[in-house]
Amino acid sequence: MEQLFYYLKVSWFSVKRAPLPYMLTVLILSLGLGVFFSNATFYYRINSDPLPAKSDKLFFPMMLLVPYQCSNCKPPSVLSYSNVAKLNASDIPSAKAAMYSAGGYLRLNAEQAPTPVTVRITQRDFFSMFDVPLLHGSIWPDNQPRDELLLSKATAEKLFGRTDVTGQQVLLDDRLFTIIGVLDQWQMLPKLYDAFNRNYLNPTEDIYLPLESGYDYNYLSNTNSSTFEDADYRKLATDGRTKAIHQLQYWVQLDTPAQQQAYRQFMANLVADEKAAGRHPSAEANQLVMMRDIVSYFDGESGDIKAFAIVTLLFLLVCVFNASHLSLNRYLSNQYEFSLRRALGANRSQLQVQLLVDMGLMSTFTLAGAAIIAYGGIKLMNYLWPSNSLFASWDLQLMLALAALTLLCSYLVTLYPSLRASFGSLNKQLKE
Amino acid sequence: MITLTNLGKVFRTELIETHALRDVNLQVNEGEFAALTGPSGSGKSTLLNILGTLESFDSGDYQLDGKSVKGLSDAALSKLRNEKIGFIFQSFNLIKDFSIYDNIELPLRYRGLKAAERKQRIERALELVGLHARRDYLPGQLSGGQQQRVAIARAIAGEPRILLADEPTGNLDSLMARQVMELLEQINRQGCTILMVTHDPDQARRAGRNIQIIDGQLHDSTMYDPLAQHTA
Amino acid sequence: MPLHLLFKSLLRRKMVTALLLIQLAMTFALLLNSMLLAQQTRQKLQQPTGLPLQQTLQVQLKPTSIALRQYPALGDLLVRQLEAVRAIPGVVAVAYSNQSPLHEGGSNGNIHDPDREELSKANGVPLYNVSTDFFAVLQLPLLAGELPQSEIAIDGIAPSPVVITQSLANKVFDGEPAIGRQLNRGPVAAVVADFYGQRKRNEIEINFNSVQVAPLWNADWGYVLLIRTTADTVETVRQALPQVLQQVDSNIEIFSVRTLQEQLQRLYSNEFGLASLLSLLSVLMLLVSMISSYSNAYFHTLKHQQEIGIKRALGASKRRIFTELLSENWLSTVLGAIAGVGCAVVLNQLLSQVISIPPLSWWLPLATCAILLLCVTVATWYPAAIATRVSPATATKTL
Repeated sequence: MEQLFYYLKVSWFSVKRAPLPYMLTVLILSLGLGVFFSNATFYYRINSDPLPAKSDKLFFPMMLLVPYQCSNCKPPSVLSYSNVAKLNASDIPSAKAAMYSAGGYLRLNAEQAPTPVTVRITQRDFFSMFDVPLLHGSIWPDNQPRDELLLSKATAEKLFGRTDVTGQQVLLDDRLFTIIGVLDQWQMLPKLYDAFNRNYLNPTEDIYLPLESGYDYNYLSNTNSSTFEDADYRKLATDGRTKAIHQLQYWVQLDTPAQQQAYRQFMANLVADEKAAGRHPSAEANQLVMMRDIVSYFDGESGDIKAFAIVTLLFLLVCVFNASHLSLNRYLSNQYEFSLRRALGANRSQLQVQLLVDMGLMSTFTLAGAAIIAYGGIKLMNYLWPSNSLFASWDLQLMLALAALTLLCSYLVTLYPSLRASFGSLNKQLKE
Repeated sequence: MITLTNLGKVFRTELIETHALRDVNLQVNEGEFAALTGPSGSGKSTLLNILGTLESFDSGDYQLDGKSVKGLSDAALSKLRNEKIGFIFQSFNLIKDFSIYDNIELPLRYRGLKAAERKQRIERALELVGLHARRDYLPGQLSGGQQQRVAIARAIAGEPRILLADEPTGNLDSLMARQVMELLEQINRQGCTILMVTHDPDQARRAGRNIQIIDGQLHDSTMYDPLAQHTA
Repeated sequence: MPLHLLFKSLLRRKMVTALLLIQLAMTFALLLNSMLLAQQTRQKLQQPTGLPLQQTLQVQLKPTSIALRQYPALGDLLVRQLEAVRAIPGVVAVAYSNQSPLHEGGSNGNIHDPDREELSKANGVPLYNVSTDFFAVLQLPLLAGELPQSEIAIDGIAPSPVVITQSLANKVFDGEPAIGRQLNRGPVAAVVADFYGQRKRNEIEINFNSVQVAPLWNADWGYVLLIRTTADTVETVRQALPQVLQQVDSNIEIFSVRTLQEQLQRLYSNEFGLASLLSLLSVLMLLVSMISSYSNAYFHTLKHQQEIGIKRALGASKRRIFTELLSENWLSTVLGAIAGVGCAVVLNQLLSQVISIPPLSWWLPLATCAILLLCVTVATWYPAAIATRVSPATATKTL
């Protein structure tokens, strides 16, 4: 221990002898790492897997089951109610849920000012499929229409000031609903069940409503809906259920490759039947997209983050080059001291330890600097790209990665120049 | 050629003033070969630096070739050094990454001579010091004596009026030292004034004139007859 | 100093020079590409939109009660809102629309000539459902036909006549006169000048717009009020709007009040963000390069004091020593820039795989090189000035 302090003291003295070059080296490395890391945070979070255990088991089936003829077309990215009903006939999936989102206004009573809320209109399997935690109450027993909804924890707290509110009644768009459950803190990041049009960057919804009720009460999708024949989208309860009004996302859980294969076959058979019935003018273009691949399937990857990732990596490289250049200069001007220490009898391993301590010291300073700059960088990126702001947080894994990267850079910057400066031809022996 | 009148140089630190040179009066005539001797720290290097306009002085006057150097700008002094003065240093002071040719060429470039003229002068200087075959070598590839001969070639390529040599043989063995001395004498015979700092009494005696400096003051200045020395 | 000696001087510090060149090249590449991107973003923000950007305000709003979101209560609300807004001093004209121009995504549909559907079809054309003053608010020049003077229901027995922009008319009718022709959505009543509707990948399709003067049946997705003001009242009208609208009926949520200029900026905010970040990064990179040039020159001076002294003794003036050091750095900058052109092309291609970025132009490398040279000169100035202070007497000192 005492020996370590001695090494630290020697390092500190060598810093103090030429503080400016040392500070510049640390500054440059911190800049490179900080900037790289602020973008890497977004890159890592946006591309992270929110359900690692399931992301290869959940699938989004899409079919070109539309009244128009189209060759080489991708199927629509949302499904019609009747197509979902056809897919729902299969019991191959372990779980299945259709869904879409809408906007609404929530209040406790008619006197209160309404609060705008986002509503996910879905079916009961949604909660098990995406591991949604329930804090109080229960979910719907089946997929029938009912005036019962679930609240997110934050919404319950905002509206009631507490979370245990099952059984209470609220007005959603002036209709009376009973709260049957409250979710626990839950934020699926990225929100892959809603990937189209970069909606996966948005937070999860405030309110959960049964799908059938959503259709009965004519809730229109606020993200993506298409009408492929003469139909009135204001009549979701009737036209919406029978005509080619597409607005539903549909997820199925297929746990084994056998299930997946069976489901593909089921989809193919379905298309063949529809063709035979004259309801499918286009060639088959079935898609069964794994949740893991859904963002790239919808072509929704963040080009900006990627472009900036390339550039920040370049910047980091430049900074490492620059810092090693600076530190090479620094060590070359300290060469005399090293020779002196060797002349005074310091053996190679002692000098090696000394260099490692130097490196540790530089890593510590650099890590602190990089963390501060990364924090500032994230704030700036949040300001310029507000849509990504949910992805700005750090976890332990990210912090460790930053620390490891800092150590690596400090190694490149400290060790090589110092070895060159102090040992010259002994370099090789040291490496063995 | 060189006239110093009451020349003085003081080194100041915060606490003390040291008179490196005090009331130095000296006259060196064209074509002379003078040796400057004295113990370490006596001020002979300072004097040589002032003569070479490498250092300034604090009092008195220094006339080179009839003109005072006092108050000349840096550019004018650089021009003066470049055109009238040649230097030979104890540690040769060749630029180690430049070839022999490039080293000799450097002052000629500073003077702004045309390439053809530079080439001609360098050839002549190399011929004189006998290193023509080594023109593309780097200094590190030559022996000490050869390096000093390159330095001499660099000093005389510009055809200076006066050659200042600071212990030119100090780092050489006796055989090489003799070669260098012979070369200097040859140059002197061709009309160049030479002022040489030396520790070696033997060399001092070979010079036409011996100037001694002790504690910043010129003490003695004796003319030797070189012929007398040979017969002694 | 002649070039070959400058090269020698660089070569003898192989490692240091290599590091310097690599980072100069990378800095050059980044600088070049971020200038390119900044330029592109600027062009996008300054492209002609056909709209009075500065003097038009756009209010995005939605009724909070179901009744107010449906006809006829919605129609009544709109009448009251338009009337109240028209009464604000400074307001020249006001109109409602189911969606705003200068937008990404919205209510779109196909527009085609029913007689030759496949040939004439334009996909994803924004379908505006507006009040009569829409054209007056946006100051859209009438090119042919007559603008509809009253609201006619879109799904009525006689369909509401359609006003289309010139680009769309050319696409659908292939350059033939459009007035009186039938579209799948109704007869063409008028052709107006192009304006920027929705952001599209295709530059021409930006100007495809189809407008129908018709009552709004519902507002489940909200709607916009477009308001043109006199030049000096934009801010006062903007301040007054929320309160005026709340007074008409408080059962509304106002999402935003913006000028069309701000709307355009929001449309390209991602590009703007990236260009800003890259510019910032370029500045940082220049800073890092400056530090590097500085330290390089500084250590060089420290290490070569004697050599500088020798040169001074041999007759090099201060000015010459100064320019020698500067030109050494200039040489490495130019070498770095030459290598940088290669890096820039590679970076440009890498970036073009993830974002849209124009290819390199010939003059940008020169401009970038000039910026780099300027920065390097500034950074080298001080160490070079120190170098001139090395006394020529240093030459006579033996190490």
